[in-house]
Amino acid sequence: MGGSVEFSKATVAAALIALAWSVPVHAQDTKVFQFALQNGMQVVVVPDHRAPIVTQMLWYRVGSVDDPPGLSGMAHFFEHMMFRGTASVPNDQFAQTVARNGGEENAFTSHDYTCFYEQIAKDRLKLMMQLDADRMVNLDLSDPNVNTERAVVLEERRMRTDNDPQALMHEQMEAALHLSHPYGRPVIGWPEEIRHIGRLEARDFYLHHYAPNNAILVVAGDVTAEEVRADAEATYEKVPARALVPRAEFAQPPRLGETRLAVARPDVKVPVFNRLYRVVSYTGAKPGEAEALEVLAQLMGGDATSIFYKELVVKRRLASDAGASYEGYARDAGEFGVYAVPRPGVRLDVLEQAVDAIIKSYTVAPPSAADLERAKTQLVADATYQRDSQYSFASAYGQALVIGLTADDVEDWPQRIRAVTGESVQQAAIHDLLKREAVTGILTPAPAQRS
Amino acid sequence: MKRLLHALIFAAAFGAGTAQAVDVKAPAAPKGEQVWFVEDHTLPMIAMTAALPAGSAYDPAAKPGLAAFAASLLDEGAGKLNSTQYQTALSNRAIRLSVTPDRDWLIVSLVTLTDNAKDAFQLLGLALSRPRFDAEAINRVRAQTLSGLAQEDEDPATVAAKGFYRAFFHDHPYGHPIDGTPQSVAAIGAGDLKGFAASHWVRDNVKIAVAGDVDEKTLAGLLDAAFGALPARPAPQLPQVGRLGQPGVQVIAMPVPQPTAVFGLPGLLRSDPDFIPGYVANHILGGGGFSSRLMGEVREKRGLTYDVDTSLDAYRKAGVVVGQVATRADGMRQTIDVIRQTFADYAANGPTDKELADAKTYLTGSFPLAFGSNVGITGQLNAFQRVGLPVDYVQKRNALIDAVTADDVKRVAARLFNPARLTIVVGGSLEAAKAQAARPAKLGTLKPPAGGAASKTAPHS
Repeated sequence: MGGSVEFSKATVAAALIALAWSVPVHAQDTKVFQFALQNGMQVVVVPDHRAPIVTQMLWYRVGSVDDPPGLSGMAHFFEHMMFRGTASVPNDQFAQTVARNGGEENAFTSHDYTCFYEQIAKDRLKLMMQLDADRMVNLDLSDPNVNTERAVVLEERRMRTDNDPQALMHEQMEAALHLSHPYGRPVIGWPEEIRHIGRLEARDFYLHHYAPNNAILVVAGDVTAEEVRADAEATYEKVPARALVPRAEFAQPPRLGETRLAVARPDVKVPVFNRLYRVVSYTGAKPGEAEALEVLAQLMGGDATSIFYKELVVKRRLASDAGASYEGYARDAGEFGVYAVPRPGVRLDVLEQAVDAIIKSYTVAPPSAADLERAKTQLVADATYQRDSQYSFASAYGQALVIGLTADDVEDWPQRIRAVTGESVQQAAIHDLLKREAVTGILTPAPAQRS
Repeated sequence: MKRLLHALIFAAAFGAGTAQAVDVKAPAAPKGEQVWFVEDHTLPMIAMTAALPAGSAYDPAAKPGLAAFAASLLDEGAGKLNSTQYQTALSNRAIRLSVTPDRDWLIVSLVTLTDNAKDAFQLLGLALSRPRFDAEAINRVRAQTLSGLAQEDEDPATVAAKGFYRAFFHDHPYGHPIDGTPQSVAAIGAGDLKGFAASHWVRDNVKIAVAGDVDEKTLAGLLDAAFGALPARPAPQLPQVGRLGQPGVQVIAMPVPQPTAVFGLPGLLRSDPDFIPGYVANHILGGGGFSSRLMGEVREKRGLTYDVDTSLDAYRKAGVVVGQVATRADGMRQTIDVIRQTFADYAANGPTDKELADAKTYLTGSFPLAFGSNVGITGQLNAFQRVGLPVDYVQKRNALIDAVTADDVKRVAARLFNPARLTIVVGGSLEAAKAQAARPAKLGTLKPPAGGAASKTAPHS
């Protein structure tokens, strides 16, 4: 195995702490098991015996917030590099091997984490572990690989962002919302900076962030904790821990006023009103605060019974669509978003005033008992429906643990949602949906320019 | 560890029995609907996917978008409940009802907690048999559809796809956009919608797949509540297709940094004896993600795209091989050349032994992944039902794939993948490519599409 073989003090301490909480926890009638390997890798096992298949997810505590200065997109680029081969599984043999064994695989990168996963017949789980343990330390980062993958990422950026005016608008709003915090940088990176990523930078990134002591393994499926432990000990545990670079603690200075972004482009066919609020996340919130924001988003714009839909779309006919959402799974700030698409002939400032009036209404009075109960019922049911999919259920644990929450936080979530009161929803509207903590975006069509 | 890894990598092989983990019953339905059912009491929920033969192919020639418009109103009020009251009845019980029109079918998906199952199936039954089509709902859904159609014009992939189906199917209703056009949607009235529902939302040929926490006897009552009140009239017939395809390249000009092409040629009906060999053949050419020929030629060797794929789609009256690719502004002409050459090589020479063996182990080995969730099971089973397969196909399917020979694939590849028959529609521009088409290609690539949930993969054939 290449790379550093030293245990750092921090790693050993983490391993001991992890071993201490190696106890089964209950998710209704499903037992979820946790343990840690000697090298500090955390393991979560979510048994699901309905079909002879497994979902393996490997969550690394590295994301685009860890992109080096001037190299935005590095974490996402590196996610691509993890498929470029090792000495023993060269070139495209990772994907070919998974496919030849009847598996599906993919990966994704966010601001806080990078996740790799496979879904496959249960008797192939150990093979998947061998493949992922191998590429954790033995990746081939030779020059041609780096250069060719960079071109693919630029093509991916064109598809996801540059071809889509709404995606471009969202990217600019995020940049404005988070000031200097790297949540404002696009995960895929700015094109000029993607072009600066080279072999040495990739090598450094790999050595600093890819290690068993920086990963959480979640296995859901037709397996027992004992089977997963035996296979993980035979594969991942052979990979030595590495000294990690501590993650930077980025400032989130208070914003002094609302930012407004008005964009008119010829490729826009339909105007859209958007607003993003920087709010607390589950990791930074007071008890019940994030849950209240979750309920508030559902009440305000979660479905066709929400106030946005009933007022703006059905009753006043100002919008053809409108909604709200809360993204609370983050190490630093969360986001609360609202949007509305005006009906033809409706001015965007009129629509915005109507949106603001609704938001304000939640600060002056709590929601009705019936509305509150319906919103909570929907959210709690989500937790049951989520368990139907191994991928979704495993993701719930991985996404929580990788940002510093616990398995208990995942399992208690329905109870905490049930405990949300009308008063706590009102308090969340008063204290979290602050205009000075918001970016408002107005996207409109512009006539095509003569060429 | 290295040696062990190699041994495992190259020892992959599946028996045909791998898929038999799921027990699919076909209970007699109260009024003769086709019902496939997987009972599983692990989670307190029930999922259903049902299809009625009421997709956009049944639109009258003068009213494209009618079937989809009617479908959009299915959850917008029924019986004594207006739209908001109906939506509130669903939401109070966390019942997830979604309605998706495709070309052949109106597809209804219902997910409910076991405790609310009776209400869920009754509410669906009310919507199917006593839809209201209130003026408020019609006008609101019309505004939403028009807004959606306008937004689709921002996306070169959607623009190219609409152009492709129009060019490929000519005047057959498979050729018009499922949601219609701004002009047609503006002209559809309450009388059209009520008439369509009355004549097309009927019990004949309804296909129902259910999985989850319910027994057979209880299910019979639930299905009667949902479908029992549908009229017993026979479903209308679909028109036969005529000439397919319009070989050549058409460009729909758009100012985008990455043009997108949708391309295709005549495929196979699901009843064609060559369908399974054709499915394997398409997997090797463009259906298999990273292992496919097209991905190797267009992306890995030349770095022209992030993704390229093809699929073998079997509609009730026509088969089509349809593919999609997006590339930078100066790359489209070269990309089209590479795709044509790849088709030609494959049609002439067929697959390698390794390609065929790998395709078979993937297609058989990944089949059980479709049966990992209640929602996934009903989606997969209903896809089989819609193309007319028998219930024991679930058990026989992998053996059929294992029986495909290299000669079969070579024969079907020659039959299907003649590049001279390719209809190609580009959203964007070809002109930037003209000046630079001769530039040598240097770039290669490798990485599956990021971000997608595996649960969203298309059903298996």
